[in-house]
Amino acid sequence: MIKTIKDWTAVIVIGALSAGTAIAADELAKDLTSTIALLGLPCGQVISAQRLGDNDYLATCKDKNRYRVYVNAQGRVVAEKR
Amino acid sequence: MTPPEATARQDEGAAEKPPETQAAKDEAVAVKPEAPPAAPPVAESPGPAPKVKSKAPVPEKPPAPPPLDLTSLEKRLRETDAIGVFTKLTLKNQVDDLLDRFQAHYEGRAKSTLPELRQPFDLLILKVLSLLQDRDSSLAGAILASREAMWGILADPVKFQKLVVQNRG
Repeated sequence: MIKTIKDWTAVIVIGALSAGTAIAADELAKDLTSTIALLGLPCGQVISAQRLGDNDYLATCKDKNRYRVYVNAQGRVVAEKR
Repeated sequence: MTPPEATARQDEGAAEKPPETQAAKDEAVAVKPEAPPAAPPVAESPGPAPKVKSKAPVPEKPPAPPPLDLTSLEKRLRETDAIGVFTKLTLKNQVDDLLDRFQAHYEGRAKSTLPELRQPFDLLILKVLSLLQDRDSSLAGAILASREAMWGILADPVKFQKLVVQNRG
């Protein structure tokens, strides 16, 4: 009985953490989508983002475009086509 | 262009004013003895009716625009969860770029005119509104309501310089 409860607790905790991560990833994708659009670059929608460093991501768009989105030394957001 | 218009307006005013002034004087003379301030409303009612008719129609004032609180709007924009950090920073970059264009305009470094600068201003406002309208409609509404007041600051060199000094400080 105790083992079952422990198993279910683990499932719930892992599920909650995964959901949190998924939400965070979704928010990041939306943020990068808006950013790339504001910069006037073609993308459509960011479908995945890989973290390269602090404030530095590689965004993959639905239309297959890929951009490195980062904050440069002058504090400007830059999207470089890859 | 402007001086003839201004002259025309003055002439119109000059043509209209004497009858008004005369009418007002006549009224003042006629009303003063008849309508003391403490007189009851019933006694006054026959008097004021012709008084209103004789005066020129007063144009209705448009409703006063809401007071602009740029600091509050900026704080709300910084704190809203509706847009992400990269988006906020990109918008800030674009606001700074627009302010630089106004600065260049007022310093005579750029040939762009104020009507030409209105377009990028409107575009930037639209970008902000489109980002906010679904997830923070209250802030979007506040920005929309402040749009003309913001333009009023940008289009006035004195107010603009004050804004620039505030931002630097």
